[in-house]
Amino acid sequence: MKKTLVLIAGALGLLASTAIASAEDVTLNVWTIDRQSDPGYNYVMADEFTKLHPNIKFNIKHVEFADWANDIMRAVATGTQPDIAYVDNPNTPFLSSKGALLDLTPYLKDSTIVDTTKIFPGPLSTVTWDGKVYGLPRGSNTIALYYNADMFKAAGLDPDKPPQTWQELYDTAKKLTDPSKNVYGLAFSANGNEEGTFQFLPWAQSTGADFDHISDPGAVRALEMWQKIIDEKLASPDTLIRGQYDSMATFNAQNAAMGISGPWELPRMSKDAKFDFRVALLPTEKEGDKRASALGEGNNVIFAKTQHPKEAFMYLEYMYSQMPRVWNEFGFLPSYPVEAKDPKWSAQYEVFAESMKYARARGPSPDWAKISKAISTAIQAALTHQTDAQTALNTAQTTINGVLGK
Amino acid sequence: MSSIFRSAHDGRGFDIALALLALAYLLVFSAFPLVYNILMSFQEVDMFSLASLSRPFVGLANYMTLFANPDFWPIMGNTALFVVLCITFQLLFGFGLALFFQQDFFGASYLRGFFLAAWIIPALVAGAVWKWIFAGDAGVLNYLLSSVGLIDQKIFWLSNPAISLYSVIIANIWLGIPFNMILLSVGLAGIPKDMYEAAALDGAGPWKRFFFMTLPMMRSTLGAVISLGIIFTLQQFDLFASLTQGGPANASNVAQYWSWQLSFQTYDIASGSAVSVLMLGFVIVVAFIYVRSTRHEYSA
Amino acid sequence: MKRYVLFVVALCFLAIYLFPLYWMYLTAFKPSSETFTYPPTFWPTHPQFNFVQTFIDKKMDVYLWNSMVIAVGTTIIAALIGTGCAYALARVRSLGMDIVLFLVLMMQVLPPSLMATPIFVLFNQVGLIATPRFAVVLAQSAKVLPLFIVLCRTSFMQIPKELEEAARVDGASRLGAFLRIAVPLARNGILVTSVLIFLQSFGEYVYSRSLISQEDLQTATVGLMNFMGPNTTDWNGIMTYAVIYVTPILIVFMLLQRKIVSGLTAGALK
Repeated sequence: MKKTLVLIAGALGLLASTAIASAEDVTLNVWTIDRQSDPGYNYVMADEFTKLHPNIKFNIKHVEFADWANDIMRAVATGTQPDIAYVDNPNTPFLSSKGALLDLTPYLKDSTIVDTTKIFPGPLSTVTWDGKVYGLPRGSNTIALYYNADMFKAAGLDPDKPPQTWQELYDTAKKLTDPSKNVYGLAFSANGNEEGTFQFLPWAQSTGADFDHISDPGAVRALEMWQKIIDEKLASPDTLIRGQYDSMATFNAQNAAMGISGPWELPRMSKDAKFDFRVALLPTEKEGDKRASALGEGNNVIFAKTQHPKEAFMYLEYMYSQMPRVWNEFGFLPSYPVEAKDPKWSAQYEVFAESMKYARARGPSPDWAKISKAISTAIQAALTHQTDAQTALNTAQTTINGVLGK
Repeated sequence: MSSIFRSAHDGRGFDIALALLALAYLLVFSAFPLVYNILMSFQEVDMFSLASLSRPFVGLANYMTLFANPDFWPIMGNTALFVVLCITFQLLFGFGLALFFQQDFFGASYLRGFFLAAWIIPALVAGAVWKWIFAGDAGVLNYLLSSVGLIDQKIFWLSNPAISLYSVIIANIWLGIPFNMILLSVGLAGIPKDMYEAAALDGAGPWKRFFFMTLPMMRSTLGAVISLGIIFTLQQFDLFASLTQGGPANASNVAQYWSWQLSFQTYDIASGSAVSVLMLGFVIVVAFIYVRSTRHEYSA
Repeated sequence: MKRYVLFVVALCFLAIYLFPLYWMYLTAFKPSSETFTYPPTFWPTHPQFNFVQTFIDKKMDVYLWNSMVIAVGTTIIAALIGTGCAYALARVRSLGMDIVLFLVLMMQVLPPSLMATPIFVLFNQVGLIATPRFAVVLAQSAKVLPLFIVLCRTSFMQIPKELEEAARVDGASRLGAFLRIAVPLARNGILVTSVLIFLQSFGEYVYSRSLISQEDLQTATVGLMNFMGPNTTDWNGIMTYAVIYVTPILIVFMLLQRKIVSGLTAGALK
């Protein structure tokens, strides 16, 4: 009897919901950095979601990553913001702290799909502000050390024993550097924006330093190691103006024997790199040091001003539920534990998945952009020898203290 | 009323009406953004107050922060250097080429047309192409220079802080040559040929003719080209974005790029606006000089 | 003899100057692995021909059409409003006109990347965002108008006043003299300036990106940026796209410019 009632109630509910749904079609505006042509994450997700919920349509706008802050600020200021957007993880607190985003906590209470306690602490911390949750991670990424096993063998190094410590990394890079063949030992990015900070922080963090105490001796030693690598031309001087993707192109072209970057390189690398490429965890200063890695990718958020919070949240839930696919189809690492079925590049996946355990969020701070700028400025000042590492990081610390109101 | 109409139709009013039409258009679409920027430079601005004009006034505080910034003077110095070098060389090359193609030889006009290619290429693409050419390791410029034996060590055009600004300048000169050349060609074409013939008959050599006839006749064109050139140079943004992003360590940063960085990379819109107001001040000086220089056109 | 020497010298200048353009074409034909190798190759070893596919995949027909609409619209507005102003500034000398000229120059100082936000705020207030391409045309014409005015002004300066005065004696009105004497005589200057403005507006980027939100109204330059993601930059794709974009304009311009420049060198005035 009870069962029948539930069934009837369910059927009625379904009828009612379809009736309401067909009565009013909803169009959700979505901003994303994905590209339509690949096709990117949001285009795929929206397409599938519309098939499940024909009354919910999408209007997706591609926003350049570099222009993202520019466009979002303008949109929020003029009230023309979308319903849903992708936000890079360190930028999320900037929006949630200012009240621009919809507080998802009440919706999450009733959700049968999302259990936030399952989300890895790194990604979760980027969507949490003041105890409330303002977004859901769509996936994560992190960085590790790529190396050219063929070059290792040619130089008489054991390709099964990639460098574990900074010193080993330095020695290996030195051994593999060969100016006559235009080969550098290492490729990484120390450019003057977020990417430089993104690559540097794990080095500092594994010594116990962090963004809010960036002038600690460990961070200084990390920066001095970078200086040494650049000064001795074990990495290209152009490291200072190149992003990660352009730096890794030199690894693929065998002009660098090792490279620090993330899983997003894999599709291109498997096409362009005509050698045995492998991945190892980022070296730490000394054996047995606490590991650290960077946390990349971002979150799906709903703007507070949306007219359709319910539908928008359903879409967020749907995207969240697709986490098991993100590695194979989009190259993100899952942001909560999922069983990876038959992952592509399985050996590299293992390493990146392990590296995820050490991935730390940048901040979180609503003023991350200013903190990040202070750190990348220090990196550049030290690498160009305008000042020594300690002075550069002291200056950064002063700026960061001001930002944090310390 | 009818007298105003007649004046607009047939007298002085006709000129005034034509001038005011354009001015009105510019006041609506250009003056507003300018005033908006000026206003923001005296206010406290954040994401939510970006669209409303009533924001807390902070007086000169934004400017004080700016002047106290250790990057301020170096970046202003870079900006001045960028403008002066770009204008000088664009003008020299542009004038040289205009004079060269002024001569009568096979294919002169076709070949001149090719020089306009740089004007057509989107700045983003020009930036990308130059970035490869300048690349330190795999760049073709280093390759060419070392194969002819001019250098024995690679030059890191973009990442060496002592050089990076000059690399951007080279790329920008390349971009600016077509503009200078075509306009100076137009100016040269306007000089009556028989004047030269007469001068040649009087025994004036080519240098004399250049300095005493060409240059004075070109005064109004040169004035226009230089003042517009300065403004274009100050507007150059995409090259910095694609070549060096102002780096390394701000070695190649200039006011217009810095202003954008402040506003939209570190969300410090007020400081960004203050930088743009300082640029405005500079252009006011340039515009004033240009307008003064046009006075000669009538006395001549 | 001298003419052939000059021709050869001209070719040398051109070869140096056009080298970056050659590099662009070359990269379009190279596969991505060849782009970053050293020593660089000056001829693609495994040439790729992705032009048709890129054109279709990236829906370049739509983008190019939008660019065309914006460039044509901008050129028309700038020419309509600017020609008269240039003429007036060339003919009248007074403090008032000095101020006008001064203001005209001053208005286009800031790069579009700094103007875009206030313009967006303004256009959003008055509802122009609903017609985004028109909005871009308005913003872009304001940007190129000072250039148009200053350049055309020099053309009008070169026309002797006496010609117009003669027409006035024959009974023509100011407007008549302006349209029938001054404008035709300055047509070369107007034409060259219009072409320059057209080309510049065809490559407009910042305003289109800021003011147009629908994908199918977007311009070719914005479409170009679709090759660049946060962790991807398909340089070969960008150059392929750029080649498709630049080549037709280049050809049309080659054909047109002969007319323009020969018109100039012949000299409208004797």
